[in-house]
Amino acid sequence: MSVHMSASRRAGTWLLSTGVLILVGIMLLPVAFMVAMSFKTGAEMAADPLGLPGGIFFGNYENALSKMTYVRSVLNSIGVTLSVAVLVSFIGALAAYPLARRTSRLSRALVLIVALGLSTPNFVTITPIYVIFRQIGLLDTYLGLILAFTALNLPLAVFFYTSFIRSIPAELDEAARLDNCSDFQIFWYIIRPLLGPATATLSLFVMLMVWNDFTYPLLLLTDESKFTVMISVYRFIGNHTISPEDLFPAAVLGSLPLLLLFLFFQRRIVAGVTAGAVK
Amino acid sequence: MQRFAKYKIYLFVLPAVIVLGAFFIYPILLTAKLSFTDFTGVGVANDVGWKNYERIFTRSRYVDALKVTLFFTLIVVVIQTASGLFFASLLNRLHSIRNLCRAALFLPAMMSFVIVGYVWQFIYSPFNGGLNALLAGIGLESLQNNWIGDPDTALFALAFAHIWMFVGYTTAIFLAGYAGIPQELDEAARIEGTSAWQRFRHIEIPLLAPSFTINIVLSTIGTLKTFELPFIMTRGGPDGATRTLSLHIIDSLFGKYKFGFASALSIVMLILVIVVAYAQNRILRSREEQL
Amino acid sequence: MHTPKSRFLRSLISRLITGAIVLMGLSTASLATVTLEVTAWKGNDTEPAALPELIERFEAANPDISIDFSYISRSDTDIVLPPRLQGGEAPDVMMADMPLVKIWSDAGLLAPLDKDGWYDRLTDQISQAITLGDNVYVMPLEVIGMGNFVNMGLLNAVGIDAPPTTIDALKDACQKLSAAGTQPLLLAGGFPAPLFAIANGLEADPADAGALGSGATTFEGNDAFMGALNHVKDLQQAGCFDGETIAGVDPWSTALSEFKAGNFAMMPQGAWNIQNFSSAPELDFVFAPLPSSKDTGVALDLFGFGWVISAQTEQAEAAKTFVDFFTDDANLKELLKAESAYSPFSDGTHGMASLAAPYDAARENGGTVMFPFGVLTWPKALEGEIFDSMTGFLLDLDKDANDVLSRWDEIIEDQ
Repeated sequence: MSVHMSASRRAGTWLLSTGVLILVGIMLLPVAFMVAMSFKTGAEMAADPLGLPGGIFFGNYENALSKMTYVRSVLNSIGVTLSVAVLVSFIGALAAYPLARRTSRLSRALVLIVALGLSTPNFVTITPIYVIFRQIGLLDTYLGLILAFTALNLPLAVFFYTSFIRSIPAELDEAARLDNCSDFQIFWYIIRPLLGPATATLSLFVMLMVWNDFTYPLLLLTDESKFTVMISVYRFIGNHTISPEDLFPAAVLGSLPLLLLFLFFQRRIVAGVTAGAVK
Repeated sequence: MQRFAKYKIYLFVLPAVIVLGAFFIYPILLTAKLSFTDFTGVGVANDVGWKNYERIFTRSRYVDALKVTLFFTLIVVVIQTASGLFFASLLNRLHSIRNLCRAALFLPAMMSFVIVGYVWQFIYSPFNGGLNALLAGIGLESLQNNWIGDPDTALFALAFAHIWMFVGYTTAIFLAGYAGIPQELDEAARIEGTSAWQRFRHIEIPLLAPSFTINIVLSTIGTLKTFELPFIMTRGGPDGATRTLSLHIIDSLFGKYKFGFASALSIVMLILVIVVAYAQNRILRSREEQL
Repeated sequence: MHTPKSRFLRSLISRLITGAIVLMGLSTASLATVTLEVTAWKGNDTEPAALPELIERFEAANPDISIDFSYISRSDTDIVLPPRLQGGEAPDVMMADMPLVKIWSDAGLLAPLDKDGWYDRLTDQISQAITLGDNVYVMPLEVIGMGNFVNMGLLNAVGIDAPPTTIDALKDACQKLSAAGTQPLLLAGGFPAPLFAIANGLEADPADAGALGSGATTFEGNDAFMGALNHVKDLQQAGCFDGETIAGVDPWSTALSEFKAGNFAMMPQGAWNIQNFSSAPELDFVFAPLPSSKDTGVALDLFGFGWVISAQTEQAEAAKTFVDFFTDDANLKELLKAESAYSPFSDGTHGMASLAAPYDAARENGGTVMFPFGVLTWPKALEGEIFDSMTGFLLDLDKDANDVLSRWDEIIEDQ
């Protein structure tokens, strides 16, 4: 497409790109602020919060890392987050397929149940989940935590996929059915590859939610070696009095692995989008 | 046999239904049951009939919270959706920076609420906070304000911080929607000499209808329920100007230990969210189909 | 006979015997070691309260008890512990404050404590506060002061040598400070202003608190509280602060960093901030009582927290040993020093540094008032309303004081 662009159009695009980059840059100033603050000493923070750090001071990070069981908790977070993303995408897409294709009363009732799940305020589920997990013995297990997060994100996934599958022409289904494909085969070989962009976007959302949540890990886990990174961060920061020298490095440490995970997945997402676009 | 085959496809939904039933339906029923009691979170729950609900609908503070919640949600959803569309429409054309910018816009969401709250409190601080300092720097001192300390601006300030955090989501959804628009349409329109704005209005927006639906419904539901940022940044202040319904639930649960009352509030919130979401969904879906 | 075979046999037998002895030793050791699960909202990096050291000391003194300690912040405690208590999986020993103690003991989830040896040593106010009926469920750990942080550096610069303890002295200080261009008083609505109001309202007769809390008398029309709120109006007149600006300042983050940076001369807050402020090298501050009509000022004491034992615990003996460990002054004073707090025992050593001398003095001279929420004299629901209404009051100081106080009465009626 760029081959057909005139010089003036290319210049216009370049100008626009720069403009957007500047805009995004401005939006990210608070993030830059957070990173800059994390490298300042306590005195620098109080004296001149808006300025750049005098030198790069690693003391805050040293302190944070020594008090948080960082590596272990990051690995836990990554493991749980990825597992949930995969599980939720699969179960969600599977469930969305009939709901998108059928408009019977049963399907509409199920959609309503999904909407109910989406609308539930957060606190409603805490005690019941604890009670259920205790009864089936899933307390303090990785499996329990993964299951809990999968359940919590399932309504979103189903809602998402239902919308996207609806936009896939039903003729494709019909064509496959004429070839004697079973419902599952249609789902697996025809629908699923086309869900690339939806799965990519959904996974990002799910990963963000699971990574940053610390209520459920706190509730369901008592073994410290299973703790996720956000629990580590919050325990380190404390809750009542916020001390900036602790807050900023801890926040950076908590978010950095997630950012790296994102960037890593961006490549696969791009691949997924382009693959899905080729019908 | 025929009838069974027709329903066989619903087996796909089974795992999801089991999970949803256990994790949502059951808790909701339990909460509904508890909303008629004076449960404190532990011990015995004594029945108090409709007392909790009576309290909610007769005290002005809860009705006020409802208004605050609805207004807050309105601001956030409108601006967040518009911003997402703005970015997505631009980024769609600018392939070179698209993926970078999409990831960049997600950065705010990757930061935990505590840090976002803290940083924005600093930005909004009336004592040489970031925003006031910026305004002074470019000569707009008259616009300086006590952003989250002033009841008139607090809700907007909060909304802005919230939008900042979540605009990445709306942008990503619109971008995914754009990915589904065939390029040939765009090319054909361009060849016919339509302007970019006309293409935007008459081709892109209609074809993005599903994305609009998803964005509006999801952000509405999410914002109606949200409590983290109001809790961290203003705790519902100044004097209730930013006290959403969700904050009342938190207040009742933690600190006052009125689990039964909080359950009643939760049920009210649930009904509110469902009604709004359902209405929205119907309106948007029918527009989708028209387009 | 030392044939190879018999030698082999002998060494085998000796190895078996040694092995058996070792195994027996191990198993008796593991049989005797009890693990106690303890949770607290102190003990992490920001608020250690000397707990890590004290736990080590305890384990050394009691080798058969091993402590499994978890830091759970105060608000997370509300989320995470109730389900565990309800579900029968509670920790053995938990940190709790009076509101939690009341709720949990009412539900039968706490074990009554054995009062021997320490109950009688408590101050009257504390023992009154923690006794529910015939039982005591909490072993109090600290009483922490809430007073006025005063930046002496800034005050000295305008010729004031001592922190103001009376309202008049406060007004005087404010006038001098604002004339010199320093912001005098950070009376934020969310905590500092309520502290001031409660201190002044209860100082004339601290016993009033009970009647007000039960609704026997009303806040509206109460002379002491009306006086307190009118003092706030006077303070604005004297240039101490600008109500509209100061009302909505967050008392837990913005206010603290502003005081720490030296931008404000005075700020009512809790003594738990002493450690934080002490880490600012150029901040010359003292911890003083809240200015009031009396000469001494008011030392507003908060009963902070204590240990409770779960009724479901299977290690009752070990739990009791753990709790008793903290009744020993030699141990408790470490915690109090780290926390800058007072001992709940009348014969206990306090943990206050010299910069809290003014507050100490107020306590000794009869200026102590117990914070009503820490000892359950006022219902918890009122706390939030006071914070809110003081913020609203500061935003519009022309309002009638009774408008604010009637809101407090409404909450009391609701209970």
